[in-house]
Amino acid sequence: MEKKELIDILFKLTQQNGVSGDEFCASKTAAAELEKYTSDVTVDDFGNVIANIGKREKGKPHIMLDAHIDEIGFIVTYITDEGFLKISNCGGTDRRLLLAQQVEVLCSDGQRIYGVTTSTPPHLETDEKKAPKLDDVFIDIGLSKEEAEKMVSLGDRVIISNEPCPLLDDRVTSKCLDDRAGVLTLIQTLEILKNDFESLNCSLSVVLSSQEETGERGAKTAAYKVNPDMAIAVDVSFARVEGDKKYTCGEMGKGPMIGVSPSLSKDMSNRFIQIAKTEKIPYQIEVMGGTTGTNADAIGVTRGGVKTVTVSIPLKYMHTPVEVISISDIENSARLIAEFLRKGAEADV
Amino acid sequence: MFDTLRDLCLLNGISGDEDSIREYIISRISDKCECKIDNLGNIIALKKGIKTPQNKVLLSAHMDEVGLIVKYINDDGSLKVESVGGVDPGVVFGRQVTVGKNNTDGVIGGVAIHNLSIDERDKAVPFDKLTVDIGAKNRDEAEKAVSLGESVYFKSDFTEFGDGFIKSKAIDDRFGCALLLELIESELEYDTYFTFVVQEEIGLRGAAAAAYTVNPDYAIVIEATTAADIPLSEGEKSVCKCKSGPVVSFMDKSTVYNKELYNLAFETAKENNIPCQTKTMIAGGNDAGAIHISRGGVKTLAVSVPCRYIHSPSCVANKKDMINSLELVKSILIKLYDRQ
Repeated sequence: MEKKELIDILFKLTQQNGVSGDEFCASKTAAAELEKYTSDVTVDDFGNVIANIGKREKGKPHIMLDAHIDEIGFIVTYITDEGFLKISNCGGTDRRLLLAQQVEVLCSDGQRIYGVTTSTPPHLETDEKKAPKLDDVFIDIGLSKEEAEKMVSLGDRVIISNEPCPLLDDRVTSKCLDDRAGVLTLIQTLEILKNDFESLNCSLSVVLSSQEETGERGAKTAAYKVNPDMAIAVDVSFARVEGDKKYTCGEMGKGPMIGVSPSLSKDMSNRFIQIAKTEKIPYQIEVMGGTTGTNADAIGVTRGGVKTVTVSIPLKYMHTPVEVISISDIENSARLIAEFLRKGAEADV
Repeated sequence: MFDTLRDLCLLNGISGDEDSIREYIISRISDKCECKIDNLGNIIALKKGIKTPQNKVLLSAHMDEVGLIVKYINDDGSLKVESVGGVDPGVVFGRQVTVGKNNTDGVIGGVAIHNLSIDERDKAVPFDKLTVDIGAKNRDEAEKAVSLGESVYFKSDFTEFGDGFIKSKAIDDRFGCALLLELIESELEYDTYFTFVVQEEIGLRGAAAAAYTVNPDYAIVIEATTAADIPLSEGEKSVCKCKSGPVVSFMDKSTVYNKELYNLAFETAKENNIPCQTKTMIAGGNDAGAIHISRGGVKTLAVSVPCRYIHSPSCVANKKDMINSLELVKSILIKLYDRQ
């Protein structure tokens, strides 16, 4: 696909909401994109989207391609006497940016209610050098308690609303590029391979898993169902910004970050690196000391164990409403994964 | 008034860079007033009535809004910024902005929370830990889009929500400008002076010059003021409350208000059944601070709409309070022209 088309799909994906445990809108939109490549697409009870491609045969490895469909947000826990909403985290939003943010309450009846997070004016701050605690932040929806209760139910999800926007070059900003960028990478992978599905020496399950941000739970159940021989977890990772240490981050625009970690398959990491070199695809190595903080952690220990690797897209400002990625990194990640599926995916190598 | 307010809020004009606001206002009033633009960029307008009053009465609002200014471009193409006016860095972090005359889109970010130490996660982010990212790969690319000294504006839509609330950037003080335009476009019996001033947010600078030039007997400043009627700030800490009417204070950080006018405001509100409240903390300040000490002193009053989350991209104010502010100002105004 052309860059423009990729951006269009990406923005379509990020504008659908899918806070952990309530991924339906996002899942539905993403599932429709996958249906362009296979008719075998289901959304399971857990909210996972599973798309199967190719016939599963003995001697051919079955490979799970994972990206998580859920995004961080909040959940309404209480309505105050003044009609303000109290919230708790769904995943780890950066609370330093929670003041006077525009938010939307996603009501159970499908309605969206506009609101703003409260912010105590500076002259009343007890200690203005402290980041706000989630406990001190409420959502102002401009309604009395009585009115609020008619529209909002406890357990409704809340997102920080933000329109996606292209930046200079091929960089874009949006909410939940973590991990809709991964979802788009898998769609683009299928796009690259769409005429070669028959000739692949492997069968595939694309899994867009739920509840990653609340503890990799969707991937755990999906991996059990899919029962793969190998898995590739596609998520985002840190691209360096001013103030970051060089050795903790990758760089934006320098290609996919191939994971190397004691919890990942060394064999798969090596094959990915080899393929990137042979195919002249730019890549970066992301070394992690233990587990990876991605779905790879859960997938790797499913059933009797799954060989797993991570391919990560460098992203700036993770877990903010203004995450930034470079489209070229998505293109190169998809190329890398597609080449792996074409050439490097032989069983038990 | 709300359509005008929407127009004005969506225009960008931080202190010292108020051109687009000035052009809009001039286009609306040039056929209704004698207008002049002074050396600082203030608009000084005289709307003629059928009578010339005994007292020269001035109504004033400021055109500028708070924002940021580009002060350096990093090697990696990100921009360092500083605040123009009182902006808490916590209300701009994680938000979209527009930069400079090319309207370049950008975002304000910093090191991801995952990569901070436990201590750092607990701290509010200062401006020197934030950068504006316009997507440039390096300094050269950034320099093609942005110049040092250019303004950085909050990107925020104008939305109505809840029970008559408006959320927007710059309600402080485009509300004042909108109210003045409403008055200029209505029938006024007496000659009245209007000033739309610059640089309030960086120290009431435009108003000082404009008040000198007009040399009024009475002045009313129309503003937006901090309301903290939110959970966890109860009693006097809420300062003033949305939906409780315009705010007339007896004292703030820049002015001890004229007692005669303060009382007049509340009497007038009562006579006309307009809700009106005062502030329960000595906080904030506005152009009254410069106007009331202009030349030999000017009897000055400020009428403000209560505004939550002021100086952020998401200011929140109620339409009822805006309407009541307009009604109150009109009612006070007619009492000032020939006041002995």
